[in-house]
Amino acid sequence: MLTKIAGGEIIDPVGGRHGVGDLWIEDGVIVDPPAGRNAETTVDASGCIVMAGAIDIHSHIGGGNVNTARLLLPEHHSAHLPRPSETPLSNLGWTAFQTGRLYAQMGFTTVVEPAMAPGNALHTHLELADIPIIDKATLAVLGNDDFLLSLIRDNASSSMIEDYVAWTVASSRALGAKVINAGGSAAFKENVRRFSLDDIVPSYGVSSRKIVKTLQMAVQNLGIPHPLHVHCNNLGMPGSVDTAAATIAAAEGVPLHLAHLQFYGYGTEGKRRFSSAASQLAEQVNATPEITIDVGQVMFGQTVTISSDVLRQFSARGNAHPKKSVIFDGDGNGGGIVPYRYRKDFYGSLQWAIGLELFLLITDPWRVFFTTDHPNGAPFTAYPALFELLMSKEARREMAEGLSASALALTTLLAIDREYTLEEIAVMTRAAPARLLGLKDRGNLAAGAIADVAVYRKGKDIAKMFGSAAFVFKDGELVVKDGEVVAHRWGRALRLAPQPDKTMVRRLEAYHQERYGLSLDWFDFPDWAIAREQPFSEVACAA
Amino acid sequence: MAVAWIGNRDAPVQHAVEQAAELLAASRCPVISIDTDIHGTRAAIALAERIGAAYDHPFEGVARETATFTDRGGIFVSPGEVRRRADVVVVVGDLPAYSREFVSELAETVPDLAGDNSRSFFSVTGTPIGPFPADNQGPVTHLSCKGTDLTGTVAALRAHLAGRRISSPVENADRLSKALGHARFTAFLCSGAGLDDLALEMVQGLAADLNKKARASILLIPTSEAGWGSVLVSTWTTGLPLRTSFSRGAPEFDPWRWNVGRMIEEGEVDLHLWIGAGSPPAKNGDSKLIALTKTGQPVADAAITIPIGEPGADHDAVLLSARTGTLAARPASEPSRMPAAATVINSILEHLDPTC
Repeated sequence: MLTKIAGGEIIDPVGGRHGVGDLWIEDGVIVDPPAGRNAETTVDASGCIVMAGAIDIHSHIGGGNVNTARLLLPEHHSAHLPRPSETPLSNLGWTAFQTGRLYAQMGFTTVVEPAMAPGNALHTHLELADIPIIDKATLAVLGNDDFLLSLIRDNASSSMIEDYVAWTVASSRALGAKVINAGGSAAFKENVRRFSLDDIVPSYGVSSRKIVKTLQMAVQNLGIPHPLHVHCNNLGMPGSVDTAAATIAAAEGVPLHLAHLQFYGYGTEGKRRFSSAASQLAEQVNATPEITIDVGQVMFGQTVTISSDVLRQFSARGNAHPKKSVIFDGDGNGGGIVPYRYRKDFYGSLQWAIGLELFLLITDPWRVFFTTDHPNGAPFTAYPALFELLMSKEARREMAEGLSASALALTTLLAIDREYTLEEIAVMTRAAPARLLGLKDRGNLAAGAIADVAVYRKGKDIAKMFGSAAFVFKDGELVVKDGEVVAHRWGRALRLAPQPDKTMVRRLEAYHQERYGLSLDWFDFPDWAIAREQPFSEVACAA
Repeated sequence: MAVAWIGNRDAPVQHAVEQAAELLAASRCPVISIDTDIHGTRAAIALAERIGAAYDHPFEGVARETATFTDRGGIFVSPGEVRRRADVVVVVGDLPAYSREFVSELAETVPDLAGDNSRSFFSVTGTPIGPFPADNQGPVTHLSCKGTDLTGTVAALRAHLAGRRISSPVENADRLSKALGHARFTAFLCSGAGLDDLALEMVQGLAADLNKKARASILLIPTSEAGWGSVLVSTWTTGLPLRTSFSRGAPEFDPWRWNVGRMIEEGEVDLHLWIGAGSPPAKNGDSKLIALTKTGQPVADAAITIPIGEPGADHDAVLLSARTGTLAARPASEPSRMPAAATVINSILEHLDPTC
């Protein structure tokens, strides 16, 4: 069917289009204006802006830890149902089904779950398969697993390590690799309670830095499009800026992505020894072109923190609100679930401001990514309000009036005049994520791209505009109209499929039989297990 | 045409499915007992949503394990880490029979990631564990406290290890205390099948105490692998675990109110859909029973019986593996024409009135 989205303000930084015009869709892809043919369906987009479907590169939407968070907090979900606008987590897309609907209503069409334990891949993909409308992808977590740490300890060749990374990504159907507090979870199992970049994992004699560097090079050499996704050590600690700075410096010219940098923007100045170091971090990011970051913005209210950084979560469990948590000593990383309420006190205000400082002081929208680290900084449903804060200095000022003045005095936020333009929003949430993830078929509106399109009705209320899309097309099908979901479909999980080396597979089989008494079937699974037609879509590695 | 039963009469499966759909649609208080694979559970929850049913697992232990998470949380460990890291293993209460193989595995191996390549076993239970005899002659040190039950023993043990005074000593507690003093990683093995809520909470408290200075964690062995798999599915599809109901439209979780066993016993139910192996509980009063189970004959007192296959045996399935602690694909080991629960339930859904 030939569809025309007529008369909208098209914003496509990749194709260089910014102006009023028509967009044509046929058979699920964007096409050039067809000569001599009329559209079978015309959507009136006058007064609207038209962008590619948005892409979220870091949002915890499925898998073991996410589901454990649901299990830990049934009272929040129960309370939400009869009073959805007044209760904690009221906007949180708590079920798999709601997650897809809520993302689509905001014009998001692809979302990456950034922390899949390889041994839990089937569970993760089953959950993701129950998220409707949007496409999904995962990052496989490495860097605390005995097999890799042993390879590094034993000075295994880089090709052997690459074979292992390739097997992990392939068998778990991931789109990339991530390291979370490299070595920190392994150290915690040996009763280590603090762990930094140059600390050594007991029993292995391997530093966290060595693990990060090893994985960074493996990802690079394998041609995995997305650079190694790094959750640094010391998340959330006063002085964590030093850890982030050291990790950025360790990139050494090779691409590296640092996740939720806001949680590392903390200095130790002031009487509370907790201050903003966002300016320093932003300056370093600006000067280091191989670095990309996502922010992990904090917004106020109840949420639940979900992380495979078990050491950090163990330390944070005393701050749980409500007073319960789950800590899991899993194979490899494990994880921790700690519910938390961000208050408008000194600490919450400072965290909020630091995130915005990073957004506004990092100058290149191709290298800073729009996240709240859902749900760690805030549920993803806070995105519309966050867009407004980025695009309106006045909105920031109004919000700041109700916050801790002493906290804001330790930041540069209120002195920053920058307001994001729509073009920059399109880069940060569409074009740049597609490029970062190696997704050439989306994030733009050029002919041949899949027809993931978000249409927003322009208005002064920015949050309303981005919170309730006028129209959303997924693969050319109209799925949202006037902010309401009008069609459900099952998206796919985007994955890489590097060919695992047969010698490595035999070695891994022997290792798991000997050490765990289990076969590699633990990790791999046939596609029929997902029980959906074509549950995966393959993305190519670089040549 | 495959055979099912309406009452005791043979009937084509298609006819039985239609009849089941009619009964379910007409029911004012339907309940579903789910004891099947992941996709069977997904289908059963979709059915519950359509007909406004409550659903549950038949084993009470599953509810106790659920409450450990929903009410308190805790610190847990994977089976793989127990095998490779635990140099002190403390079994608390009876474990499910299927876990005997894993305990034997622990007895035959030593931790290679921590400790001095040895593993010591303690037991806070009066019954044999795994391959070990139920006395002090074997490698297991048994801990007991006269004049109290298992829950009291765990409480006394926690108090003793915390240095508090207790009225009745725990036999061999000092030996455990000494072992814990040298342990690199202590694993407690327990299950909702063998402990009540209070004991499960007390074990968590014990582990929390130890983690102030050392490392300890709990391997919660599910009462039922299928049951815990169903808890996971229910949680990601509805946001809530088992013992959830759609009777008011939106899902509501209430572990007392939607306890299907209690509801049947107290006559709150007019229709019970049983999905899985085993025998459904006796029906109460005029309530009706629909049984989806692996059988070659009609289930006693069932209005409708539809045979289904065993997941992972008759048909491919996804099941929870307690051995890995996560979901696993199980190709059919003895493929047969017996349909999967999901197939039959989806067929029932297709026959329900769309307005239902």
